[in-house]
Amino acid sequence: MRTLKYVGRRLLVLVPQLFLISIVTFTLVRMLPGDPARLELGPLAPEEGVELLRHQLRLDEPLPQQYIAYLQRLLQGDFGRSWVNSSSVAQDLLVRAPATLELITAGMLIVLVIMVPIALLSASPSRGWLARATRRVSFGYGLLAGALPDFWLGLVLIFVFFSVLGWAPGPEGRLAILDLPPARVTGFYVVDALLAGNFDTFRSALSHLALPAVTLAFVYGGPIFKMVRASMEAALRSDYTIYAESLGLPRRTVLLWAMRNAAPPAVVVTGVVAGYLLGGAVLIETVFNLNGIGRYAVQSITTADYAPIQGFVLVAAAFTVMVNLIVDLLQFMIDPRFSARAS
Amino acid sequence: MSALKVDDDRRRQHSSASVARHPAHRSVIGLWSRLSRFDRAVLVVFVLILIIAAIGPFVAPYPPTVADPLQRLVSPNRAHPFGTDENGIDVLSRLIAAPRIDVLIAVIATTLSVAIGAPLGVVAGYFEGADRRAMRWISEATLRLLDVIQAFPVFILAMVLVAIHGTGPVNVVFAVAFVNFPVFLRLVRSEILSLREHLYAEAAVALGNSELGVGFKHLLPNAWPTVLVQVSVTIGFAVLLTAGLSFVGAGVSPPTPELGAMIASGAKFMITGQWWVAMFPGLLLGLIVFTFAAMGDIVGKLMEPGQRAIPSRRLLSNARIAPAAQAEAAAPSAQDAVLSVRGLAIEASGCPPILDGVSFDLMPGEILGVVGLPGSGKSILVRAILRLLGHGLQRRAGHVFFRGKDLAELDEKTLRAIRGSEILPLLPNAKSQLNPLVRVGDLMVAHIRAHNRCSRREAHARAARMLGAIGIGDAEHWLAAYPHELSGGMAQRVCLAIALVHRPPLIIADEPTAGLDVTVQRQVLDLMIELCHQSGAAQVLATRELGIVAHYCHRVAVLDEGLIVEMGPVRDVLLAPRHAVTRRLIAAADLRAVSTAPTTNTSSKMVP
Repeated sequence: MRTLKYVGRRLLVLVPQLFLISIVTFTLVRMLPGDPARLELGPLAPEEGVELLRHQLRLDEPLPQQYIAYLQRLLQGDFGRSWVNSSSVAQDLLVRAPATLELITAGMLIVLVIMVPIALLSASPSRGWLARATRRVSFGYGLLAGALPDFWLGLVLIFVFFSVLGWAPGPEGRLAILDLPPARVTGFYVVDALLAGNFDTFRSALSHLALPAVTLAFVYGGPIFKMVRASMEAALRSDYTIYAESLGLPRRTVLLWAMRNAAPPAVVVTGVVAGYLLGGAVLIETVFNLNGIGRYAVQSITTADYAPIQGFVLVAAAFTVMVNLIVDLLQFMIDPRFSARAS
Repeated sequence: MSALKVDDDRRRQHSSASVARHPAHRSVIGLWSRLSRFDRAVLVVFVLILIIAAIGPFVAPYPPTVADPLQRLVSPNRAHPFGTDENGIDVLSRLIAAPRIDVLIAVIATTLSVAIGAPLGVVAGYFEGADRRAMRWISEATLRLLDVIQAFPVFILAMVLVAIHGTGPVNVVFAVAFVNFPVFLRLVRSEILSLREHLYAEAAVALGNSELGVGFKHLLPNAWPTVLVQVSVTIGFAVLLTAGLSFVGAGVSPPTPELGAMIASGAKFMITGQWWVAMFPGLLLGLIVFTFAAMGDIVGKLMEPGQRAIPSRRLLSNARIAPAAQAEAAAPSAQDAVLSVRGLAIEASGCPPILDGVSFDLMPGEILGVVGLPGSGKSILVRAILRLLGHGLQRRAGHVFFRGKDLAELDEKTLRAIRGSEILPLLPNAKSQLNPLVRVGDLMVAHIRAHNRCSRREAHARAARMLGAIGIGDAEHWLAAYPHELSGGMAQRVCLAIALVHRPPLIIADEPTAGLDVTVQRQVLDLMIELCHQSGAAQVLATRELGIVAHYCHRVAVLDEGLIVEMGPVRDVLLAPRHAVTRRLIAAADLRAVSTAPTTNTSSKMVP
């Protein structure tokens, strides 16, 4: 019941947030010098067409009406058209979104499955060889993470694993040039290929995903790694852990409980990082030629194609707001103190 | 601001080389000597980066923008240690020339962010605490608006801003400044909010200054240290952001030497094997970002006076306490003592001992009070008995025998079996001893099952019975509760239930009533003593208050600076104190007995 109430209240906050975001994207385009209709149609369109669109978009009306018209179009799923390839922006984004989501999901999976356990192990003061090794790793990683630019790291990985070792495919996109994409179910090639039972495609998709995902995980996992490590260390040093130890509880229980304490701050940082992921995806997709929405945005910027940029910015901000929502809900579930304060 | 910093660092460099003849330089040397070797290296690199940024283009061995078609993509050799790029320009020369633009953009943009963010932060922080509702509302609305601005991914926002206004260094500066100013606004706001609570702020307002004026004149300067740390980190990020923008073609464009653009131009050669074109700019970029971030740490460290590295407390490693340096005082303990401490000495590595030569015996059912002034080593003694030293503390000598077994010699498994079932702790501030994310019931069940083979349900029933036995009604409710729902007294009662559930022969209590109010203190103590009496548990009761000792203990040991200066039956010690510390404690206890616990009388009510 309390949970329902909190979820309801939190969802209510979402509405004004999305509203404000739409205002910001709207003004972003108004900040442009020149006529939005001309911008949307591109420099080559004839004047009559621009005039027609201006009327269609109700740009000849005062600003508030213009905003309402913009909002109406958004609600109908109309994000405008790209003048470069005259396709619907909503359609373009929808087609490309799975590539980006696949990259982000794979990167976060690597963080979760490989980096978080290493961080937890390196926080443990045990003197075993494993703990010592992970402490070394985490020290070195702590120095590098956050300093190495993601786009450069991607290039280095390509150089090492493609040019020198030949273990991974080059930056040719999500599949080898001759591979056919699997039938679309989720849009994730790796998943779809498995569902279709096509193991060659699966292997190809996975190998094409590996380097970009590792790049993403390495660069953006840094803050998560550091936070998990720091909060685990703090939890292990805390009074309640010492008390649990002095009660002779099994080591496993003590560690599991400490992990519980380390979770809330880690979740918060993960949320913050997730907000940066789309920005990171822009660069990584560019380096690896992945046809996701990030690369779409970069291409649009270089061709001064404004409707896609506007659409992408809107999607990116909405994504961040959604991530924040999920983080808050997760915190509500994990931490009884938080839920006590929140409700 | 950056120029100032350069100056400062140069001075630091310079003076460390010269002799400390001028007293003004001495403090600078003091700073230098406080840095670790790693920090010094960072500082040197930092200064080098600033120098290169300042004079780079003039010292490059080759002109960094003049193409030489005959020298295209030459691999690293003696003439071109880092090779040449596709235009035949020496990579090293471009590297030396490039940081200038990146660092310059980052520094200017960050300065701009501070210039916008800090004053707004003062206003926001000031409005937030204002009495007028409208002001608070404005502050709230500003923060929510920031939420929305920050919902746009930094890189994308910067990219779009540059795309809108056109590429070029000036627009990059504005974009980077815009995406970073919320960071400073928030930082300054929270600093102001905490600083305005200080007395000097209130005093300044009381003297008739306007609150906003106080915010700018008195509070903002105090927020600078924190801001400065963030400035350094932000400059690093700004460099990365600038390079990223240039990499996608939305920043500084060629032929201006710039690290991101250099990486972009080298990208395609990474695949074909001419790695040097993109590799070195990336390494340099990483080094710059890292150095600025690390400088932030160093500045933060220097700002905090007296903050030296604290040896990390390694909890679980206590298992491996160094074996006793000398087998002195290993004499067999009294025959049937529950606990025998013999010549126990504890020290923090390299410091004078915290405990020295502590020895005593504890008979079954006996209650030994350990009293002493704060800092006399009571808590350390308790922890040493539980073998939970931590804090980088070490046992230097002596032994702790529990029922004839030397605790230091037990292996991890045996120790775990004894801790919690035969030796139970009762620690101060019970609320902080309970894990905030573990239900009371889960802790009790885990503790019962750690020492008894039984099902979860049986353990649960037993926990409920135990809570009932110490007078907690509605046990099920409290078992399902999280620690934050408990009062301090309730938490200590839970700890008491935990301590007694296995009917241990020994309880080690350290200020068990700290943090409780006086009435609850008595209830908890009475309960504790009564139950210990019932189960025949012996007890070490460390406390500051002689009143408690007089009332509940059989014997008392007075601890002063790690030494037991006096020990004996409570009556003898209290009625005929021989040591000055004992007399001081008695004097203090009398005062306290009068003011807080009237029923506690030092001389009359004694346990026989």
